Amino acid sequence: MSTSHTPVEANKVRNRVFVAIGAVVIIATYLYLILGQPSEFAEGDFGQASLIAIIGYLLGSVLIAAGTIHRLPTTTIALVPVAIAVNIVVGQIAASLGLPIYLDSIGTILVGVLAGPAAGALTGALTNVIWGMTISPIALPFAVTAVVIGVLAGYAGRLGMFRRFYLAPIAGLITGIVAALVSSPIAAFIFGGATGGGNGAIVAAFRAVGNSLLASTTFQGLLSDPLDKVITFTIVVIILYALPSRFRSRFPFVREYNVFGKQSEHAAPTRAPRRAAGGSDSPASTTGDDSRSSDSGTTPTS
Amino acid sequence: MTTTLYEDRESAVHRLNPVTKLVAMLSIIIIVFAVQIWWVALGIVVFVVMPAAVISGTGGRLLSLSLKLLLPILIVLVLLQGLFFPEGTTVLAEFGPARVTVEGLMFALGIGSRIAALVLCSLVLLLTTDPALLMTSLTQKGMSPKMSYVISSTLQIIPAFQTRAQSILLAQQARGLRLKGNPLRRVAAVLPLVSPLVLGMFTDVEERSTAMEARGFSSPATHTSFVVVEDPLGQKIARWALAAIALASVVLSLLGVFK
Repeated sequence: MSTSHTPVEANKVRNRVFVAIGAVVIIATYLYLILGQPSEFAEGDFGQASLIAIIGYLLGSVLIAAGTIHRLPTTTIALVPVAIAVNIVVGQIAASLGLPIYLDSIGTILVGVLAGPAAGALTGALTNVIWGMTISPIALPFAVTAVVIGVLAGYAGRLGMFRRFYLAPIAGLITGIVAALVSSPIAAFIFGGATGGGNGAIVAAFRAVGNSLLASTTFQGLLSDPLDKVITFTIVVIILYALPSRFRSRFPFVREYNVFGKQSEHAAPTRAPRRAAGGSDSPASTTGDDSRSSDSGTTPTS
Repeated sequence: MTTTLYEDRESAVHRLNPVTKLVAMLSIIIIVFAVQIWWVALGIVVFVVMPAAVISGTGGRLLSLSLKLLLPILIVLVLLQGLFFPEGTTVLAEFGPARVTVEGLMFALGIGSRIAALVLCSLVLLLTTDPALLMTSLTQKGMSPKMSYVISSTLQIIPAFQTRAQSILLAQQARGLRLKGNPLRRVAAVLPLVSPLVLGMFTDVEERSTAMEARGFSSPATHTSFVVVEDPLGQKIARWALAAIALASVVLSLLGVFK
């Protein structure tokens, strides 16, 4: 990325402002929906909650997407479309196989871990835009949830949650809980709890015992999202550990924050040892096998 | 682009500038959510969205799509809010823990009419607007060309990825992968599908980014467009008017006028 040009510098400030305002709008929207509601809701009327939910979340997501896209280098931009395609294709297959989980954020989490929170946020937001354009417009209001998932995956990578195999599911659990909390006001105030057949039945069960609609959609989200994200993060960490380290370390974000640590090949069951054991080239190839070369202390790239 | 809902036809709605249609869609959604009166939302659907679909010749597709996408949600909504609305006081019927209340049904009507307007409005935009043209005209209005690249190329590679995923699935099944059985086993079956897909994705990315760099993708210079989308003055005025109405409805709503 060239930073020497003055218009680019000026845009940098503008982009930061976009991202900051977007984040503030999303947080303010969430706090208003959670704290400002119970009193008005008693009459069975949401007041402005659904208006605030749709405008605040959409505006925040658009600002973050617009602010992040300029910062990303071409390699990351090239990664985003394929990651979105992975999200959508795997999500569709999970639905057609009748899986109890969504599995529609594998690409978002991959991009977050490999290219950082900004790239993860963009991938998440655009996944829901494309999902809305190709499958069902119902996905559009939930774009903010995907943004949050991408951002949290990025910070999980940055904080070293992918350096150990067993830490990734924990990051998934936290992401899932936050995703459930963020998306429950959308399900409650925009869709009245009716987002899908099975989910609606669970919301109905919580309503039957006297919970408010927001509480019911929150409980429903907490039943499905954390499980989904634990499994998704586990799948992602398995895939990433199976990748040759030269693939992973091609991303500047991975190198800068040491996302996988130096010891990552020891901690994980990679494919490389199996290949080496099956083949006949075990003692001779010290330069050919990627996983071995990074074990021997040399960092892959400077 | 077979993945999108777009239907290539010749009509007045198709000829509108894509940005005008997008602004109209967003304004209608905002107005519907701001005004919060069920007959306003249904009125917009009946007198604006449906005529637009009929004029553009996409009425049949709109009907079948909305039956597929909207009907399940509306049924769940009516059952959920009609039967389980603890805040309701006017009880019409009672079945054990489930109570049919007037308040619950009115609530379902309010939410349902808004969801219907949201979904139908988006569908008309998608059915009558070529995504590539929408991206081009948004870029001409100042959207980043990177954004339009990401959206357009995603729409193009999804069919290829679907084919690839299907062939991976078939190949793994030929090697003995079982997709039936308990849920846990089915979740485990996803891994042999996803890892080849993601590995393939990395090779794709490498080729693409080299090709993009070679064509000056990240150049800070202004990008010119091959297609210039027409934008008559009348539509510009219409867009500003729609945006102003939407803004006014939000302000009035926040002031509590529609209560």
